[in-house]
Amino acid sequence: MNLYLYLDKDTIVHRLDPRAKILILICTFAIPLLNDHPLWVAGATLLILIYGMLARSLGNIARIKTILVLIFIFSSLMWFVFAKGTTPLFWRVTRESVMYGLATGLKIDAMIIAGLIFLSTTKNEEITQGLIKLGLPFAVAFVFSTALRLVPTFVGAGATVSQAMRSRGLDIDSGSFLERIKKYVPLLVPIFLSSIRNTDSLAMALESKGFGNSPRRTFYLQLKWQPFDTLFLVFFVVLTILNAWAKINGFTSISGLIK
Amino acid sequence: MKELWTMWKNTRMITMTALTAAIFAALLIPFKGIPIIPGITEFRPAQIIATTFPIFFGPAGAWGVAIGNLIGDFFGTLGPGSFFGFFGNLFEGYVIYKIWQALKKEPTIKSGGDLFHYVLAVILSGATCAMIIAWGLEVLGMFPFAVLGTIITLNNVIVPIFLGPPLILLLYPRIKKWDLIWTDVMDPEDISTVKSPTLGLALMWIGGLGGLIVGLLLSTGLYGAKLAGFGVGHTGTGVILGLIPFIVIFLASALAFPSKGE
Repeated sequence: MNLYLYLDKDTIVHRLDPRAKILILICTFAIPLLNDHPLWVAGATLLILIYGMLARSLGNIARIKTILVLIFIFSSLMWFVFAKGTTPLFWRVTRESVMYGLATGLKIDAMIIAGLIFLSTTKNEEITQGLIKLGLPFAVAFVFSTALRLVPTFVGAGATVSQAMRSRGLDIDSGSFLERIKKYVPLLVPIFLSSIRNTDSLAMALESKGFGNSPRRTFYLQLKWQPFDTLFLVFFVVLTILNAWAKINGFTSISGLIK
Repeated sequence: MKELWTMWKNTRMITMTALTAAIFAALLIPFKGIPIIPGITEFRPAQIIATTFPIFFGPAGAWGVAIGNLIGDFFGTLGPGSFFGFFGNLFEGYVIYKIWQALKKEPTIKSGGDLFHYVLAVILSGATCAMIIAWGLEVLGMFPFAVLGTIITLNNVIVPIFLGPPLILLLYPRIKKWDLIWTDVMDPEDISTVKSPTLGLALMWIGGLGGLIVGLLLSTGLYGAKLAGFGVGHTGTGVILGLIPFIVIFLASALAFPSKGE
């Protein structure tokens, strides 16, 4: 069962070093966040979409387009009411709150798209290896990668147990929402227990292979930093710095918005 | 708080963390399609894990739900909010096991008193998690505290209160039999001792629930609302600065649970 968003393609973004992709991800989160004005946020979103085009991962973005539209509408409407400005339109809504609402809706979409591009172009083991190389302790990275690997197993086991119980006559689909959720508890217990019981075996297997024995570890997956990693990273870091400078000087803000 | 760091040298605690994370993420993912706040939170029956596994696995449960939450975000909602989601869920688990440790209770529910303590622990842990995430997203200017604080608290509390006790009763005997209760797994020297439980719990309540309530009052403007009028609340700086003392108080509660030698 493949639940993951990774797309196996050969693009320049796929070939980037995972460390570069992690750092670019932080930049692509920071750039929309540094802007308040909808036009600046639109520019940041366009930049992220071009990055997504280079990664040929727009297909994954299209898969969640309904969610992105919902996020945009919901976030915008909420800030229409919650943000304050000096030019009233009606009720609590002002011209500035409308602009801020539109910008925030777009901002959240842009950041989700940035996250999606990262996940579409980076394998789980590359993420783990990249995090280790960036200084994450090995034990934490091990937990992260083991859990990532176990998720499809558990989701699959859940589906198998629920189908087995249905075939024995258990009616999971009737009753109120809470009643239906309640019926899942006995289904979950065998999955929980079988996985918890494996804790000891897994710990013993790890210790027999010298887990945590040596602080210096070697890895099968070797990362190699290329000149185009530097090029991409410098481009995004410079853009982030420019955006930060523009924010400090008030170019990206909405005049009249009261925070 | 010492055990949150020392557990990383214990292989069994590490595997328990991985399993908790995987189970939590596996329960989160199927419900990603039922968003409550699109892009931020969805209906989360998985929170039942956040309030039960830390009781059994202590810090491994707390780290497990934090990492599991991050993995859940890998299925469509990865963003800067994931950072605050990580810490919110970590402290949700921390509050649950710390309360149980402070009350010197067996990790199960045997009486009405245990059930009462469990419900209180779920409310406080849910409120703490909500305060951290809602405050973080207010800092980023993504969502108003009033909206997120309320929804995350309800999401964290309702399902665990109803379904947590039967799950604990079903799991506890087996986990105990397999010697996987965290206080049995970890070296006692690596666990912080509870010297001032009353003070520690009081600070946790003030910091966690107090912070959430003050945040909601500031954000909705209820503190200054006229009778039957719509309050004019604060967004941004007011809420961000107003909650910092409560976060500090919550973190200070860890000092009332010092480890040996501290």
